[in-house]
Amino acid sequence: MWYPIGFTVLANPSAATVKVNTDGTATLLTGTVETGQGALTVLGQIAAETLGLSTDDVHVVSGDTDVTPMDTGAIASRTTYVTGNAIVKAAEKAREILFEAAAPLLNVKPNQLEARDKRIQVLGFPSSSIPISDVVQHSESVVGNPAIGSASYNPPTLAMDPETGQGKPFNTYVYATQIADVEVDDETGEVEILKIVAVHDCGTPINPMLVEGQIQGGISMGVGFALQEEILFEEGRQINPNLTNYIMPTSLDMPELEVGLVDNYDPTGPFGAKGAGEPTAVPTAAAIMNAIYDAVGVRITSLPATAERVMMAILEKQDSEKTAATG
Amino acid sequence: MATRNKDIQTDTDQVIKTEKAKSPSSQPLSVPTDNPVVYPLDLPQGEARLRTPAVGQRASRPDGRLHGLGQTQYIDDITFPHMLHAKILHSDHAHARIVSIDTSEAEKMPGVLATLTGAEVPENSFGPTFQDQPILAYPIVRHRGDGVAAVAAVTEQLAMEALEKIKVEYEPLTPVFDPLEAIEDDSPKIHGESNIYTSKIIKKGDVEKALKDSPHVFHRQYTTQMVEHVPLEPQATIASWDGNGRVTIWSSLGRITLGREDISRTLAIPQSRIRLIGTIVGGNFGGKNEIRNEPIVALLSKKSRRPVKCVFTRDEEFTSSTIRHPFIMDYTTGVNDEGLILARKIRLVLDGGAYCSWTGTTIGKGSILAPGPYNIENVFVEAYAVYTNKTTTGAMRGFGAPQVCFAYESQMDEIANKLGIDPLEIRLKNGFSENSLSPTSQTLQSVALKESLNQASDRFGWKEWKA
Repeated sequence: MWYPIGFTVLANPSAATVKVNTDGTATLLTGTVETGQGALTVLGQIAAETLGLSTDDVHVVSGDTDVTPMDTGAIASRTTYVTGNAIVKAAEKAREILFEAAAPLLNVKPNQLEARDKRIQVLGFPSSSIPISDVVQHSESVVGNPAIGSASYNPPTLAMDPETGQGKPFNTYVYATQIADVEVDDETGEVEILKIVAVHDCGTPINPMLVEGQIQGGISMGVGFALQEEILFEEGRQINPNLTNYIMPTSLDMPELEVGLVDNYDPTGPFGAKGAGEPTAVPTAAAIMNAIYDAVGVRITSLPATAERVMMAILEKQDSEKTAATG
Repeated sequence: MATRNKDIQTDTDQVIKTEKAKSPSSQPLSVPTDNPVVYPLDLPQGEARLRTPAVGQRASRPDGRLHGLGQTQYIDDITFPHMLHAKILHSDHAHARIVSIDTSEAEKMPGVLATLTGAEVPENSFGPTFQDQPILAYPIVRHRGDGVAAVAAVTEQLAMEALEKIKVEYEPLTPVFDPLEAIEDDSPKIHGESNIYTSKIIKKGDVEKALKDSPHVFHRQYTTQMVEHVPLEPQATIASWDGNGRVTIWSSLGRITLGREDISRTLAIPQSRIRLIGTIVGGNFGGKNEIRNEPIVALLSKKSRRPVKCVFTRDEEFTSSTIRHPFIMDYTTGVNDEGLILARKIRLVLDGGAYCSWTGTTIGKGSILAPGPYNIENVFVEAYAVYTNKTTTGAMRGFGAPQVCFAYESQMDEIANKLGIDPLEIRLKNGFSENSLSPTSQTLQSVALKESLNQASDRFGWKEWKA
């Protein structure tokens, strides 16, 4: 499986503002919205990393058009990559102000400094350092330059030729493999998924725990797409628009999951990261259908593979085998 | 009748009084201040949150704690004094022309403070690519999920009863439900002169010649169904105007900057007069990536001069928000004896439902990804999105990728089985590696496909299991 990060060709920028407080904590302003995936935690970690702070040092403010800068939004698996890149650039600007303020105090040039372990220190000589909080106070109260930075990022793309579709629609892609182990009841057609192994590439994970959570959630969505979920229509009217008759997987339907991440680093992403939102749900149905074939020798070409559909395919196979044997 | 409404009014007054008591004037939101649970406010943080460097830490989420304590405020938890509840009347037909709408009986009901129809919306259209969706359909309804009128009343129950008093006269039009019928020249037309509203071609090499020269050619049609995002929290909105003619909208939308642009366009007021607050979203998965009821609620709030809330029912979440595109996918693939793919020809037909929504992105990603992550010199993909009189299909986790992945990975296994090659081997043999060229001839970087294949098969115990 492969999946792109960001919009197809179209500009999809994000902007961010990072402010460092005089006690060495910081505030990140982002126009994205937390939709349950843990994006704000990841974005805070990216700001913290750039400033040499811990995750807990950064408070993230989001989701208010009166307060937060432009963001294309929580869509297209773009938040970590696009908004993350904007945050790195914004935090670097704030950090540059701190380097300018600290350089004369440490008798070096600003480009000889780094932000690490909550201190501004001389590159390769950590014993010559000042706590970030002192540098912020000095920059703000003595130099008169508060540590604040704003920046934006948009992934570079190239338009697709209208005749041939040739072009560079995305700046980067992720890859994944899922393998399913299933048991099929050949008298009822019921499919039970015993185990799914999922190994995904997301570049370098900013927060491995949250990536694993995304993969687990994505698989549950993939299981529903594969086996159960289907909106049914009669003359254009949905006949099962409720959770009684629209069957989706619950925790009881979830198989054993083994989740792995590939070691990878994308130089175009924030600290090597790409993304992990949508692709986690992409390969599950294909893996399950291939496992069904492996188990009972029938190829399901129309989703979802409900028990009825699998049973019909098994009966057809048995009939054609019988015909072949007698014919 | 009068007595019952009086009771409702009394109930409402009582509710408002209780709410007021709960929320002092300094706090506009009704935070549950009477909650007996005492939260430790000086809590110890998980170690991962305190460590540097921050990247790579398994840091816990601050919002997770609030969810666990029930402190997260979703829109359904937010209430204001004098707030009204909105309900939307949906179409009785999949395809029809509205002859007339009469809201007068509903307006006469005590406790009903405002009604709205599509004709009253300043700019009655929206959509991320084409602005072909109405806020409230008028005069044409194109699927049963189209809203045709809305009501704001002091309770949800009353608003629902008021919907029953709205009289809509329709002139039915011939509907079309099957995308393969809709694609035909003589099919009923849903917008304009053709039901094909967007298409995509990806062309590399000479697919016809390469298929002719291929020792083995595989053909299969794959189809997928309509599915719904099913977020735990249905779409929800509150709108409230201040004395300066500025509106604040709380919304479960996942993209507020562009949402504000769309609301500004539909209401025909400057963006500077709109504050859009994206609350914590109880699940998005793509279904909350465009505005939906925000303009309706804002206009009802303006007419009634009260804050107005609208929360979709589960039924409406299915029928009136967007869902995933069903795909009809024809795959023809030529391979040599060793299982190397020589050519792949693909035709995709997307059932677009009644409006375009995020189809542009879905058909784009679907077409580009359709050949799969495999080195194929000869590729031809043609994709068509077709309007039908069914629920609008839009953004949903993967934008067409789960559909095409089901097709290309199923066919990879079919080829492997037929040629007696291990399914893992055939993928390693054809798979992308660093600097591979994509179907659009992009040089790919940071490619970890084979690493994922190897690690997954090792963890699964593929070799032992196959032996």
